[in-house]
Amino acid sequence: MFSMAMFGQALVNGVSLSAIYVLIALGFTLLFGIMRVVNFAHGAFAMLGGYALFFAYGQYQLPYAVAIIGSALLVASAGLIFEYFVVRWFYHKMFQSMIGLMGLNMAMVFTGVIVWDAHERSIPAAASEVLFVGDLVIPADRVVVLAVAIVVLFLFWMFISKTKYGLAMRAASQDVEIAGTQGINARRIYQVAFFIAIFMTALAGSLYTQVYALSPFVGERILMVAFVVVILGGMGSIPGAALGGILLGLSESFLSTFFGAAVSTFVTFGAVILLLVVRPWGILGEPE
Amino acid sequence: MLAIWPIFTSNQFLLTMASMVLLSAIGAASLNLIIRTGHVSLAHAGFMGIGAYGCVLAQLYLEWSFPIALIFGCLLSGLVALAVGPIILRLTGKYFVLVTFMLGEIIRMIFIEWKSLTGGSNGLSNFPPIHPIFESSINFYYLALIVSVLCVALCWRILTSELGRAIDSMREAEKVALCSGVPVIKIKILIFVIGCVLVAIQGAFQAHLIKFVDPTSFNDLASLNFVVMNVIGGMFHVAGPLIGTIFISLFPELLRDYVDYQRVIFGVVLIIVMAALPGGIVGTFARLRGKK
Repeated sequence: MFSMAMFGQALVNGVSLSAIYVLIALGFTLLFGIMRVVNFAHGAFAMLGGYALFFAYGQYQLPYAVAIIGSALLVASAGLIFEYFVVRWFYHKMFQSMIGLMGLNMAMVFTGVIVWDAHERSIPAAASEVLFVGDLVIPADRVVVLAVAIVVLFLFWMFISKTKYGLAMRAASQDVEIAGTQGINARRIYQVAFFIAIFMTALAGSLYTQVYALSPFVGERILMVAFVVVILGGMGSIPGAALGGILLGLSESFLSTFFGAAVSTFVTFGAVILLLVVRPWGILGEPE
Repeated sequence: MLAIWPIFTSNQFLLTMASMVLLSAIGAASLNLIIRTGHVSLAHAGFMGIGAYGCVLAQLYLEWSFPIALIFGCLLSGLVALAVGPIILRLTGKYFVLVTFMLGEIIRMIFIEWKSLTGGSNGLSNFPPIHPIFESSINFYYLALIVSVLCVALCWRILTSELGRAIDSMREAEKVALCSGVPVIKIKILIFVIGCVLVAIQGAFQAHLIKFVDPTSFNDLASLNFVVMNVIGGMFHVAGPLIGTIFISLFPELLRDYVDYQRVIFGVVLIIVMAALPGGIVGTFARLRGKK
């Protein structure tokens, strides 16, 4: 049953899955690290990203690059409206944010059901070719997923580490009050952070639903991924989210290829619980 | 009042609904017990599931009568709580929330995956009833009322006893409590086990009320619902979880004419309540009274 071809296949799937997971988790950890908000509506925003791509690419047949970036931008802009009316009331209130944003999640998901009904849809693949590399069979859409994710992750990294806003954001995540005394406009930083987080989530949502299937309830699974990855890497830690995403994507892919999906989920969750018990702040997080 | 009103109505739906609310109050109150120790558990519905499955499976496969099966379900839930409690109760705050979230999911996945025993996602039905006389809704209502009052009274008694004061002290200042000779971790485990046993009682009775058990009744949303009941009602008043239960259970029913929009409106209400009334309904009343 074990063969190099299967190993390679699992690796390819795992890497593209990891890329999506990192995108999901980065936004989640950013919101937690900077605003101390546990974004229970994270999956719902990813779901919106999926529908945006469904209409932009599937219905109106825009060019793929325009469709995928445009739909993520659209959802992120809509996200700013949610930020103004809902999310900003919950900054730095971790507990209230959990329940309040759960409410937002519920409202968004069931509005989705009303508008788009509960049936599963599929988004046409960006590329239908199949690449052969030696024994490996690589579906081209997986390569597209990986490429899009890598470009966005690189831009994100550049933004965080090289620009003034990125620096201000890192400062605000360490200590809001001291950052404020240094002339950093926390309100603006929060908006920027929220925009970026939702952008990445929506993008991840459209990539994910393109590979699997789209329904208003797809967010549940994505939220779960965000939780697991962020716990693995450490709440609020950006390198942690990247590491956690890669770990989860690869282990899920290998375990489910060789032992089945149920075993994969049990092992992942078991490992996360074990980690929470011995090192609750995650692999790269810092104890409080 | 709760005992008398069924005489004036014979509406089956209302009675079943009322029994459901009464049983949910057990879960909310028992979770309140755990929350008072400073731990918000998201595995509560999982333990409810252990109670429900334990009881129903004992009736089905071991052919035990309901009371013994009920005790079996409760013991099972209590034992699991006793096994994991000492490990996870050492975590605090958000880490405990997350670890119980995972634990709840694992419990639910066991219900789904252990198909030969639990029937997988299809769940179980056609199990023997509690007793033929509880087939009628009104009799079941009184049974639920008695069980619920007993369980909630137990929670209330614990919170107002000396043990309750010890619980409050260790939530507010764990180190001080420890230095004053409060056996913090022992009490936490004790309360966690009691809470899980109580919610198992709810699970067993609820299974018989709806005559059906399936894994989705015990998912993360169900656990969150218990937390929401506590938060909406107000966590630090004994009446809080009860008012929260009524609010959460009846609110969707009020919107029954707008089935499509029910959950959307419910979500919006959750947002507004959390943003505007952080102390919950009871907390807000207490604050208003304090101001006068």
